[in-house]
Amino acid sequence: MKFDPAFLWSVTPVILTGLWTTLWIAVLSSIGATVLGFIFELLRRSNRVMGFVMRGLIDVIRSTPVLVQLYFLFFVLPYVGITLPAVVAGVLGLSLYYSGYLAEVFKGGIDSLDTGQFEAGKALGLARHDVVWFIVAPQMLRNVAAPMGNYFVSALKATPYLAVISVPEMLGIALELGSNSFRYAEPMVAVGIIFLILAVSISQLVRMLETRLLASSKR
Amino acid sequence: MDLQSSAPASDGLGAPVVDIVGLNKWYGSFHVLHEIDLQVRKGENIVICGPSGSGKSTLIRCVNQLESHQEGTITVNGRELSQQVPRLHELRRDIGMVFQHFNLFPHLSVLRNCTLALTRARGLSRGEANDIARHYLARVRIPEQQDKYPGQLSGGQQQRVAIARALCMNPKVMLFDEPTSALDPEMIKEVLDVMSDLAREGMTMLCVTHEMGFARSVADRVVFMDGGHIVEEAPPEQFFANPQHARSRQFLSQLL
Repeated sequence: MKFDPAFLWSVTPVILTGLWTTLWIAVLSSIGATVLGFIFELLRRSNRVMGFVMRGLIDVIRSTPVLVQLYFLFFVLPYVGITLPAVVAGVLGLSLYYSGYLAEVFKGGIDSLDTGQFEAGKALGLARHDVVWFIVAPQMLRNVAAPMGNYFVSALKATPYLAVISVPEMLGIALELGSNSFRYAEPMVAVGIIFLILAVSISQLVRMLETRLLASSKR
Repeated sequence: MDLQSSAPASDGLGAPVVDIVGLNKWYGSFHVLHEIDLQVRKGENIVICGPSGSGKSTLIRCVNQLESHQEGTITVNGRELSQQVPRLHELRRDIGMVFQHFNLFPHLSVLRNCTLALTRARGLSRGEANDIARHYLARVRIPEQQDKYPGQLSGGQQQRVAIARALCMNPKVMLFDEPTSALDPEMIKEVLDVMSDLAREGMTMLCVTHEMGFARSVADRVVFMDGGHIVEEAPPEQFFANPQHARSRQFLSQLL
C-alpha cells in the first residue's frame, strides 16, 4: 500500500476536531497535577505520620503504569459504585499520575531554598500558610519552572492514553479513521506531526518563561 | 522615640522584657545551654559574646523559639514561649530579629520586604504599611532604595533593610544574631551606627556580636558565654577593664 498524501490531507482536519479535547485535557491535567503535587508535598512536610503516608502514596503513584491507573479509575471503581464519565476519569488519572512526579520536583525546589528564608518568615510572626504562599511558593516556582514545563509536555503526550477509555481525543479519532479505511499510515503520521508541533511550541514557551524568570531573579 | 520614653527602664524596676530562667537545651546528647538565667529590662542593650560554639546564637534563637528548649522558661513581655504554646507565631510578632545573612526575601522589593508582615500579620492595608515602611527605611538611612530588589544592594544596605523590616513590626525587643559577621569591613560601621541609634533611642536589644567597640560604647551589660554557660555578666567598663574569670581574660586577650 502506497503512502497517499491526498488521504493524509483529507484526514488531518478530521483529526484536528479532537485538538481542543486534547488541549484542554492536557491543560486541566497539568493544573490538577500542579495543585495536587503541591498539596502532597506540603502534607509530606507537615508531620511525621503524614510524611510517611504521603511518601507511600507518591511512591505508589509513580511506580504503577499510567494505563493501569486509568483502567482502575474507569473500569474498577464502578465495582464499588463509583462511576466516572470517561473524560473525568481521564483528567483525574493524568492529574494523579503527574502529581506524583511534580511533588518530587517541588520537594527539590523547596529543599534548595535557604533555611534562612523560612526563619525570616517565622521571625516576622507570619503564619505557616503565609510563609508558604508569599515566601516559599514564589521562590520555589523559579527553581522548578524548567522541570515543571517538561512534565506539562509529558502530560500532553500522555493524552492519547485516554483513547483506551473512549475519550474522543486525537489518537482515538485517528485510530477510528484507520480501522474504517484500513489505512493507518496517514492518520498516524498526521497525529504524530500535530503532537510534534504542539510539544515543540510548549517547550519553546517554557524556555521563554524560564529565561524571563531567571532574568527577574537576577534583579 | 526618644530618651524620655525609655525612662522607666533606667529605674531598673518593673518586669523584665525578656526573662530567661533555668534554661537547658540539648542537641541529642550534647548539652548546648546550661542553666541559663538572663533578664533584659526595658531599654537595656545586652551584648552577648564568647568563642564560636559557646551557645550564644542558640541562646538568642531560643528567645523567639527558632530553636526549642527542653528545660526552663523563656518569658517575653510577660508571656511564656515554647513549642507547645498555641499560636506561637503571634507572640513572635513582638520580637524582631536580624540575622547574620540578612535573610531578605530576594523575590520581593525592599518596600515589600518591609510591608509583607504588616499586611499579612498585622492586617494593615498596603497604603498604611507602605507609610510605616518608608518611615523606618528613612530611619536606617536608605529611603531611596525602596523599589530595588535585595540583590541590587550592598551587604550593608541589605542588613539595614533587614533592620527596618524588623522595626516595622514595632517589636518590644530586637534580637541581633551576629549582624555584622557577613559584612565587608567597610560596611560594618554603617550597620553598627544604626544599631547604636536604636540603642540610644531606647530600644530593648539583645545582640550577639564580636564587635567589642560596639559593646564597650553602647552595651549596658556584657554577657560572656563559653561552653554553653554564662561565665560572666558585667557592665562593659568592668568587663573590659577587669574581667573576673580566666576564660573571659583569655577571650579578651585573643581579640587584641
